[in-house]
Amino acid sequence: MGKVVLQSAYNKGKAILQKTNRGAKIRIGLLILALILPFLPFISDYILHIVILIFLYVILALGLNIVRGFNGLLDLGYVGFYGIGAYTSGLLTYHFGLSYWLIIPLAFINGAIWGILLGAPTLRLTGDYFAIVTFGFSELVVLFLTNEIWLTRGPQGLPGIDVVSIDLTLFGGPKWEFIGELPYYYLAIAMVMVTVFVMWRIQDSRLGRAWFAIRDDEVAAVSCGINLLAYKVIAFAISAAFGAVGGSFFARWVTFLSPDMFKFWESFLILCMIVLGGMGNIWGVMIGAVVLVSMSEVLRELLPLLGLPVKVRFLAFGLIMVLMMRYRPAGIMPIAAVAAQMRVGRMKRKKVKVAAVIKK
Amino acid sequence: MTQILEIKKLYKNFGGLEALRNITFEINKGEILGLIGPNGAGKTTLFNCVAGIEKPTDGEIIFTNSDRSISIGGKRPEAVTALGIARTFQNIRLFNNLTVIDNVKIGRHCRTKSTFFGAVVRHRFQRAEEKAITENANQFLDFVGLKGRGQEIASSMPYGDQRRLEVARALATEPHLLMLDEPAAGMNPQESKDLMDLIRRIRDKGITVLLIEHDMKVVMGVCERVVVINYGEWLAEGEPQEIQNDPKVIEAYLGTGAANAA
Repeated sequence: MGKVVLQSAYNKGKAILQKTNRGAKIRIGLLILALILPFLPFISDYILHIVILIFLYVILALGLNIVRGFNGLLDLGYVGFYGIGAYTSGLLTYHFGLSYWLIIPLAFINGAIWGILLGAPTLRLTGDYFAIVTFGFSELVVLFLTNEIWLTRGPQGLPGIDVVSIDLTLFGGPKWEFIGELPYYYLAIAMVMVTVFVMWRIQDSRLGRAWFAIRDDEVAAVSCGINLLAYKVIAFAISAAFGAVGGSFFARWVTFLSPDMFKFWESFLILCMIVLGGMGNIWGVMIGAVVLVSMSEVLRELLPLLGLPVKVRFLAFGLIMVLMMRYRPAGIMPIAAVAAQMRVGRMKRKKVKVAAVIKK
Repeated sequence: MTQILEIKKLYKNFGGLEALRNITFEINKGEILGLIGPNGAGKTTLFNCVAGIEKPTDGEIIFTNSDRSISIGGKRPEAVTALGIARTFQNIRLFNNLTVIDNVKIGRHCRTKSTFFGAVVRHRFQRAEEKAITENANQFLDFVGLKGRGQEIASSMPYGDQRRLEVARALATEPHLLMLDEPAAGMNPQESKDLMDLIRRIRDKGITVLLIEHDMKVVMGVCERVVVINYGEWLAEGEPQEIQNDPKVIEAYLGTGAANAA
């Protein structure tokens, strides 16, 4: 009897597996891997910490991808929103002991408001001018965090932020604090999944199409009735909101903030992830984040062994970007159209070579 | 006959250059009007003024849409599109990285509503709207003769098909007035014949067509009335036959000697 039930369950499972396509199988496989990862034998707390860091950067990179990948605007000040989100979350926790579950939506709204405040006046600018303004904004945020000591304690940093906790005492239940990396790991997975879900749905919607239209041709977009400024501001606000949510997670995870965590370098790193992975492609951007964060950590361990200072890893990033630009300018996993164009290009080159051989 | 568009004493200066000078003409509802003139006459500038891409220096453009007359000179281009004027471009402007069907779906933008919340939550209204967008987009692809090619990437299509896709995208905005900027440029005779047929079918749907074109076969074959401008000024107006034999027009195109010879 038991055997029969097992057999039918096995058959059912097999049928479901056969029905799902390859992409879905890979996705489900990755998700299962992510869920059981902490229990694999070689996983230490340190590795778990780095994986959480990867997840954090996946959220940030997906957020920036809205502006850079979907809208084609160069935003060099993304880290400003990350910093605002982190400090707002940190200060709200520090002074008012606000629950993290409340902070997430607040951080989202807060980020969106700052995105609109910065975006509405500056998104009229085009190209380089916009990039310069955003760059200035991120510097402004760092200067504010450093100098407004009454609020942020300046360069001393903001220590002692409470960890995330699930507090059920209101309903007579227990209070469970997030200690160690494990609970944060699952929290990060949940946040990444929500982010990817939102990106996925936007990508295939009227809003997403309007953004792609703006990226591909602004004049044609406006002729289709798309209000450029409005849609760019929406993009900027949503992107900033995800940056702020990432920041709020960061604050409650490391429980210490200081202004130099939000230097321009971070913006650049996140931008590199997008370019490396493939601008505009959700999977590509995620791969970019995984590659760059893990490489950064590997180099941090490896370089001292070679007798080099840790900062040399910035050089390594530069080198990788140069090599990418030379050999795979559209990233590891570009959007479908770009990939198709590049395939055509490669085929043409091959044909030309063949023709040359025949002539000889 | 009622007018759909009235252009009254329109001026457009670029710095010291007068691109348009005192242009006045009307487009009747339901006709195919050709706008011709030598290179640099200001045809595209006139288009851009109507479409809202350029702001006229002086003068009025009045668009009549279901008994309501609105002055559209200097209005934002997205507002003009929403009122019911669509256009194509002289050098094709498609969304190159997107599929054919997505290009047409973007044309539906100004007739649909949902944004961020709808995209994420996908409530019933958004799902119905999305379904309608897809259906409409397929209809328009069908109409221009690109049936079943929705999944191709726009930039990978042949030139003539890209032209037709641009028309489909413009039609997707549900215009009352469609402005085509040199649609036959670079087409072979068969393709321009198909194009003329398409333009007539568009008119039969009740859409007024304003056509800039250099290919005289197309202009003479499809237009019911022709307006000629030269050096930014109105030169002549009338039926294709009259225009063809008008000495002023021949002079503008071929020079003084040719006009005398004719």
